[in-house]
Amino acid sequence: MGIPISLAIIAFAALIHASFQLSVSMLTMLSGHAIGAKHSQKKLFNLTTNFLLGTATLTLLLITGLSFILVNLFGADTPQMVWAGACGLLFGVAISIWMFYYRRAKGTALWIPRGVAKYLHDRTKATSMGAEAFGLGMSSVAGEILFIIAPLIIGALAITQLPGVWQLLGVGIYTIISLSSITVVWMLIGGGHTLGRIQKWRENNKYFLQFVAGAGLIVLSFFVYVYEILGTAVGGM
Amino acid sequence: MSLAVDIIKNNGSSERFDRDKLHKSIVSVCISVRAPHGQAEATAHSVCDAVIDWLASRPEVTSADIRTIAGKHLKRYHPEAAYLYEQHHIII
Repeated sequence: MGIPISLAIIAFAALIHASFQLSVSMLTMLSGHAIGAKHSQKKLFNLTTNFLLGTATLTLLLITGLSFILVNLFGADTPQMVWAGACGLLFGVAISIWMFYYRRAKGTALWIPRGVAKYLHDRTKATSMGAEAFGLGMSSVAGEILFIIAPLIIGALAITQLPGVWQLLGVGIYTIISLSSITVVWMLIGGGHTLGRIQKWRENNKYFLQFVAGAGLIVLSFFVYVYEILGTAVGGM
Repeated sequence: MSLAVDIIKNNGSSERFDRDKLHKSIVSVCISVRAPHGQAEATAHSVCDAVIDWLASRPEVTSADIRTIAGKHLKRYHPEAAYLYEQHHIII
């Protein structure tokens, strides 16, 4: 796999990762509580920035950790079985997202265990320090691991196909693009947009985002399967 | 101020209706949509009065009932705050 193809897969996987919504939901709630509790704009900035940094840190740790494991297991010669398994995972998660991602009710409640959702809700409400917000940002990534694991694995596999220094670039590209949606919401909140408008947009477009995330995973799965499995088989004949 | 009305919470426990608690939550949601403080206080006052009128003939209600009625009255004064008030428990 060439460098441009690997980087394109990493960027596309990260874009799909960015369409997942738990971190955005929690950032919206955290901001609502901070503004409602009459915290200063500086405090609001401190909390939301720490939340964003927490999200970035765990995403970075996950993508580097997975890449490290895969490089040590397979090096740059990833077996076709592993690529096929990763494509199957992408396809399975895509179907799950189409079927389950949002709960079929008002609002933007996600299909995560209600106990976990209540815990995250209560912790978001209780958060008043930067360090807590940082931990909450990390929790928001961990809480959605069942869905983000597919783009993370395919991104990590693509990173292992890159030469040394390019792997760092791949990790950076994945982390930055995967944070794009939460960064936009962070900027909107900092810029004075009201949470009601942000939440309304999210609720009105939730099924579109759900469709796009699932479709993106299927397109990525199809591309990787054709390029890595069929392409190699045809090229080897 | 407390009315002699029991509020049944989602987890099955109950507590006495507390106007201050409702008032604070309405003020908080109004401020979170960037309403001026004075407007938030006035809105909360009106909404609490309306909820207390509704509670007058009911000895026992659920917290979801309170939320629905408060949201309905809040919508008259500040639709965006009412929207966020309704959404609060269904964001995650």
